[in-house]
Amino acid sequence: MLQNVRLTIRTKILIGYFLVICCLGAATIVVSERISSLQNEIETIASRDIEIQNLITTIRYNAISMETSQRGFIITGDEAYLDPYIKGKKEWEANYNILYPYLSDNPAAKKILEEIKLIIENWIATAGEPTIALRKDNNTQEIIDFFYEDKAKQDIDLLRIQFENIRQTEIESTQNHLMQLENRNNNLIIGLYTMLLLVSVAAFMIVSFVSGTIVKTIKQVVKSITDIASPGGDLSTRINVTARDEIKELADATNALLDNVNNQNWIQTKVAEVATMNQGINDMKTLAESFLSKLAPILNAIYGVFYIRQGAGEQQRIVKIGSYAASGEEEGIASFRLGEGLVGQAAVENRTFLLNTAPDHPIIIKSGLAQVTPQSILVVPIEFEGKAVAVVEFASAESFTSQHLKLLELIENHFGVAVNNVAGRMEVERLLSESQVLTEELQAQTEELQAQSEELQMQQEEMRMTTEHLEEQNLFAEQKTKELEKAKAELESYSEQLKQSSQYKSNFLANMSHELRTPLNCILILSQILSENENQTLTPEEEGYAAVIHSSGNDLLALIDDILDLSKIEAGKVILTMDEVNVSEIPEHMKLGFSPIAEKKGLSFQISVADDVPAVLYTDGQRLQQVMKNLLSNAFKFTETGSVTLCIQNADTESIKKYVPSCLNDTVLAISVTDTGIGIPKNKQQLIFEAFQQVDGETTRQYGGTGLGLSICNEFTRLLGGRIVLKSEVQQGSTFTLYVPSRPNMEKEQLAVEHHEAAAAAQDIVPAPDWMEPTISQANEFEVSLFKGKRVLLVEDDSRNVFALVKALESKQFIVTVANNGKHCLDILQQQTGFDLVLMDIMMPVMDGFEAMRAIRQDTAMLETPIIALTSKAMKNDRDKCLEAGASDYISKPLNMEQLFSLMRVWLTKQVGH
Amino acid sequence: MSTYWEEEEADLDDARQDSLKQIEIDLLLEGIHRTHGFDFRHYLRSSLSRRISHRMNVEGLSTITALLEKVLHEPKFIDKLLNDFSIKVTEMYRDPGFFLAFRRDVVPFLKELPEIRIWHAGCATGEEVYSMAILLLEEGLLGKARIYATDMNENLIAFAKQGKFPLKRMQSFTKNYLQAGGTKEFSSYYTTDHEHAYFHPYLKENMMFAQHNLATDRSFNEFHIILCRNVLIYFDADLQNRVHDLFIDSLSASGFLCLGSMESLISAHKPQYEDFNAAERIFRKSE
Repeated sequence: MLQNVRLTIRTKILIGYFLVICCLGAATIVVSERISSLQNEIETIASRDIEIQNLITTIRYNAISMETSQRGFIITGDEAYLDPYIKGKKEWEANYNILYPYLSDNPAAKKILEEIKLIIENWIATAGEPTIALRKDNNTQEIIDFFYEDKAKQDIDLLRIQFENIRQTEIESTQNHLMQLENRNNNLIIGLYTMLLLVSVAAFMIVSFVSGTIVKTIKQVVKSITDIASPGGDLSTRINVTARDEIKELADATNALLDNVNNQNWIQTKVAEVATMNQGINDMKTLAESFLSKLAPILNAIYGVFYIRQGAGEQQRIVKIGSYAASGEEEGIASFRLGEGLVGQAAVENRTFLLNTAPDHPIIIKSGLAQVTPQSILVVPIEFEGKAVAVVEFASAESFTSQHLKLLELIENHFGVAVNNVAGRMEVERLLSESQVLTEELQAQTEELQAQSEELQMQQEEMRMTTEHLEEQNLFAEQKTKELEKAKAELESYSEQLKQSSQYKSNFLANMSHELRTPLNCILILSQILSENENQTLTPEEEGYAAVIHSSGNDLLALIDDILDLSKIEAGKVILTMDEVNVSEIPEHMKLGFSPIAEKKGLSFQISVADDVPAVLYTDGQRLQQVMKNLLSNAFKFTETGSVTLCIQNADTESIKKYVPSCLNDTVLAISVTDTGIGIPKNKQQLIFEAFQQVDGETTRQYGGTGLGLSICNEFTRLLGGRIVLKSEVQQGSTFTLYVPSRPNMEKEQLAVEHHEAAAAAQDIVPAPDWMEPTISQANEFEVSLFKGKRVLLVEDDSRNVFALVKALESKQFIVTVANNGKHCLDILQQQTGFDLVLMDIMMPVMDGFEAMRAIRQDTAMLETPIIALTSKAMKNDRDKCLEAGASDYISKPLNMEQLFSLMRVWLTKQVGH
Repeated sequence: MSTYWEEEEADLDDARQDSLKQIEIDLLLEGIHRTHGFDFRHYLRSSLSRRISHRMNVEGLSTITALLEKVLHEPKFIDKLLNDFSIKVTEMYRDPGFFLAFRRDVVPFLKELPEIRIWHAGCATGEEVYSMAILLLEEGLLGKARIYATDMNENLIAFAKQGKFPLKRMQSFTKNYLQAGGTKEFSSYYTTDHEHAYFHPYLKENMMFAQHNLATDRSFNEFHIILCRNVLIYFDADLQNRVHDLFIDSLSASGFLCLGSMESLISAHKPQYEDFNAAERIFRKSE
């Protein structure tokens, strides 16, 4: 039944309640009916019984009052006593008639009552009336007789018994009635309880049925909902309700809600998926691609393009950065201006465009097998803070559903944030990498700068070193200069003295030679005379001796002349006699002088004079001849075989330029003497022009001679303004070419001065000082200069250490000041400054090294002064404490002197950089 | 108007000069590469350009092409340029904090190893190599360590081999040594003469010096530690990438890469390392 009829819960509850109320009503009716009947009965019983009693009593009273009145009358004869009798006689019958119906249901009482009636009627008939009548007749006898008989008394006694019976009967009857009533009451109570039970049962059944149907469906729904809500519950489960009531509606509504939630859920899931997909993507293109490839399947789209807003101001464009299922990069327009096309419009208006038919859309989506033309196109702006930051376009072969649109709407907001984030992140990344690049660039520049500054620093240091070096050199030079000046003065005085002595020497020589010549001449002459032996007084042997004396004397004379010349030259006393020299005469003179020698040595002597030589040459003829003679005599001297050639010609311009450039405009004669003698080795060619030099000692031994000749020639030639040029090959011979200028305007004095200057110039050349040349001992010298004079403050209490250290340091030329403890050290530092280095012992009485170092470092002037702490190896912590206290470095005792000196070199060397 | 045009022309001229200069630099670098094998083509242009200008100033040359000519035709000239290009700023215990961190954090790992191979890439004059040797000596690790020190500049390698450093820098080296947590007396490692401090030869026993060009040469061993401090900053991104590839190939599993104080890993290589001590630029190869 219920299945077929639509019974709402309300109906069910109403029916239930209705049924319950019905039951209650029925019960109430029954009960009230029973109660009213009971009431009736009670009333009936009460009023009838009372009535009966009353009537019985009344009848009894009537009977008694009749007898009483009859008796009164009889006694008195007063008629007045007869009234109650008359009244009773009238009334009792009426009362009887009233009572009689009441007792109709009580036959016993009725019978008694009828008997009572008979008794009364009998009394009246037998006793009452006759007596009254007797009285009235005054028949007193009869009356007395009558009472003697007294038949009436029997009647009255019977009546009294009868009345007692009827009263008893009536009480019994009433009691019966009450019993009945009580029974009925009991029945009623039972009936009521029964009724209650029945109604309760009925109500319970109805309620349980109704609630059962309601609760069952509700439970069903609740179970379904719990199932769905339970973790891991399936949202796709639907509530199935067979009932067709509100629960069904509720279930339907819940199902609808679930559907909705499901849809919402789907959207949310997709949104979340898209949102989570966005995480960790730092690249817009990747974001676009993954967005498309994520969303396109969700939307059943077969084609998708992603455009992003790029640029700013007028340059803003919507540029394609990603596509889905597009065939190649060309698919889809690469970029739009704002407002251009749907895409541009979507970006401007921030509005979604849905085209459900796109007949003109040219896009054909290619799959492996077919080409599809999209049916529906969706252009969605992705907005962030109300501004479209990107536009996505999808094309689908089907229509897009509202759910798709809703999804897109939701995603749009989330994705806008994502796009913005990625854009931000990309920007940040770009800036970061830019800043990274810049940092690196900066670092590179810093390094470079550092390198440069280091280089600069080094250069600077080097320069400083050079400067210092230069200063040192300067100082040194100054000293040297002073010394030199002194030396110069000394030298000058010496030179003065020398000059004087030279003068003396020259004078002496000149005089001497003169003085020598005189006796020598004597000797020569006499020896010649002797050797000629005109008187034949000498043996040939003695004659030979005399010839030797003569030739030796000649040699001596030549030597004296040479010395004289040289000394004259040196003394600047050569006086040139410039004069016209007849060139053509020169060969003659030479020939005269040397032909004999040539003949004697078996050499050929040739003289050639070029045609173009000038006839006259202005020079000192005597000196020229002297030079030529000298050259020729040399040539003959060193030539054993072959020839000696004298050649006179004009010097060619090239030679002039090369050898006597000052005489370019003058006539220069080139007089060359060529021999085929022993020649001069290359390395000796310069030497031979110096005084007292010959090619070698052997030469001297072999050829004799003082070695002055060439140097005198050279000097004379120079005085004449010319030059001697030598070309020679060993064992081939030599050619001395004498270039002599013709100097018609030359003054004698001038030449002498020139010579002086030349001599002075020669004197100016000072030999290079020693320090210019690095020596092997440089390191030691440097060390000495690094250590030398450096002031070291040695703070040490142990006298043995002090002794040893001071010795060692002083051996390195340090200047050592000793302090016995920290306090002492500070005292010293207050009085003296300028210490280059402090050696600081740690364990000391009065004030230890740490304290002393800290105190020293308080003094700004001593901040940079190196302090070397002398620590004990045993004390490991001392190291750090030293450094904290301000030590620059430390070295542990017992000291390795080599290490100490290394350390001191480090700390005394000027630093570069930092 | 004329001024405007002139300015315009001047600008154009500047631009032309710039591009010309770039071409010249390209040619110079190409020339160096082709003739001498040194590849500076991926060095930072800004840095190179300054170094080139410096050399031009010193040589009194007006164009880079003139420099190129010298490179091509004067056999010894390349040495000067090489010296210019290799910036040899280094010092012993440079960035003492790094060496302190190395001693404190990395050394415990090294103690586990049966042998330690260390590569100083771009060691320049070798100050850091000796610093590392002293550190390892003090940690009792020098005996089982092999230190490979390379630089592309043979002159620098030759200098580094000597193990002598100028006295005039020794004070700062000493300070660095102390700050880097040195445990002995720095002076016990060297002797001096008037100009140089000579580090003891026993420090050199496990050092190998070789010429190696990060721009062109390949990996030559597997190392537990690679130090390449303030070298990559002179390279452009491509070359940095190449060098990092080289390092990854050359590092053993869980090996350490130590970079200069301002350097960082390129993002492409970040995943391959974990930050071991990011502040001191010590990175550890991910397993």
